Amino acid sequence: MGPLIPNELIPPEWNFVLAILIGIAFGYIMEASGFSSSRKLVGVFYGYDFAVLKVFFTATIVALIGLHYMDYLNWIDLTQLFVQPTYLWAAIVGGFIMGIGFLAGGFCPGTSLCAVGIGKIDGIVFTLGLFIGILIFSESFTWLQPLYEKHNLGHVTLDETLGVSPYLIIFIFTLIAILAFYLSDSIRNRVKKVFY
Amino acid sequence: MSATYSTKKILVKRSYQFLALILIILAGGLMVIPKHQQHEGITPELFVKNMISTERYISTDILADRIVNQDPVLLLIDTRTTEEFEKYTLPNAINIPLSQILNKELNPYLNQDIYDVILFSTDNFTADEAWLIGNRMGYERLYVLEGGLNAWFQTIIEPKLPEETMSREAFELYSFRKAAGKYFGVANDTLEIEPEIKKISPPKKVVTKPKKKKKMPEGGC
Repeated sequence: MGPLIPNELIPPEWNFVLAILIGIAFGYIMEASGFSSSRKLVGVFYGYDFAVLKVFFTATIVALIGLHYMDYLNWIDLTQLFVQPTYLWAAIVGGFIMGIGFLAGGFCPGTSLCAVGIGKIDGIVFTLGLFIGILIFSESFTWLQPLYEKHNLGHVTLDETLGVSPYLIIFIFTLIAILAFYLSDSIRNRVKKVFY
Repeated sequence: MSATYSTKKILVKRSYQFLALILIILAGGLMVIPKHQQHEGITPELFVKNMISTERYISTDILADRIVNQDPVLLLIDTRTTEEFEKYTLPNAINIPLSQILNKELNPYLNQDIYDVILFSTDNFTADEAWLIGNRMGYERLYVLEGGLNAWFQTIIEPKLPEETMSREAFELYSFRKAAGKYFGVANDTLEIEPEIKKISPPKKVVTKPKKKKKMPEGGC
């Protein structure tokens, strides 16, 4: 049956309309969860608030388990879903830079736009910096291109690379998530509480 | 009353443990549920839709035109038996008998997206069966020669002369088929011998030249 648009159960013209609606819902929930506060986001690094880790890890696990049950019931064809190609070195370097930006600024690209939405000055400054970063990257792309395209592993998935059942990976991943939740809670209890 | 209250209290207090337990049960459930046969290739709905459609058929005239013009993306596959294939086949065709259609070694000929694969047989039934299997497997660009080699003989090798009252297009098609037949080396070409019309040459006009009158010598020195 699914995915709904590629299988033309929903006309492709609805693509952008649905994207906007999902985007609004995503932004609303992020803001309602308090993710537009940079202090909440950096709490993960200082150990006083792990809401970000919990929310994103839970979302991943729910989507992962849900999609595989839907695939089992033939509601969605997982082979039709797009798997992002893995550019190994670009991901490592990009992840490192983004981590520094995340810690220094207290936002990720999505939450910074949420902060702009409610008029936070730090969010506006962060977003301006983000666009300056995009400009620098675009202008120096010819220079960065070898790194950008290095070690393209293609559309790889963990189960195919390791040659194990995807269900086993999901199960292990779920256990890791729960362990992460438990550890994060125990760290938070030890760290001095921060009120903001 | 107090029992319900205490249950609620436990549920609220330990809500995260319950949620974690649900996630573990669901993730573990995926590993335990029996494996089921998933559809290989296209969905049954699409398969039936393709089966009813006649888009897979290609006429002998179009095929002949493409062969004559040496279409580089044309791949002819004879689905008859090897014995039949050796007796007669179309130019540059390769033989994949229907029984070998799922042979993995021959799979690259069918499962590709570069060539237009034209399947043919004596009529179109065997080729249709091969097409059905290929289409179910999700192979693209598979076509069937409409009417098979029988239609090929009736239209390209031995085309029927249109009746005099038929349209100009029918005559043009006939001349195309005759020309295509010659291209495919029809040996016993039934050339229509036009009856020799004796040209009756018009009677020559005898032009009588007026005799020149001998001029009388005029004068003299």
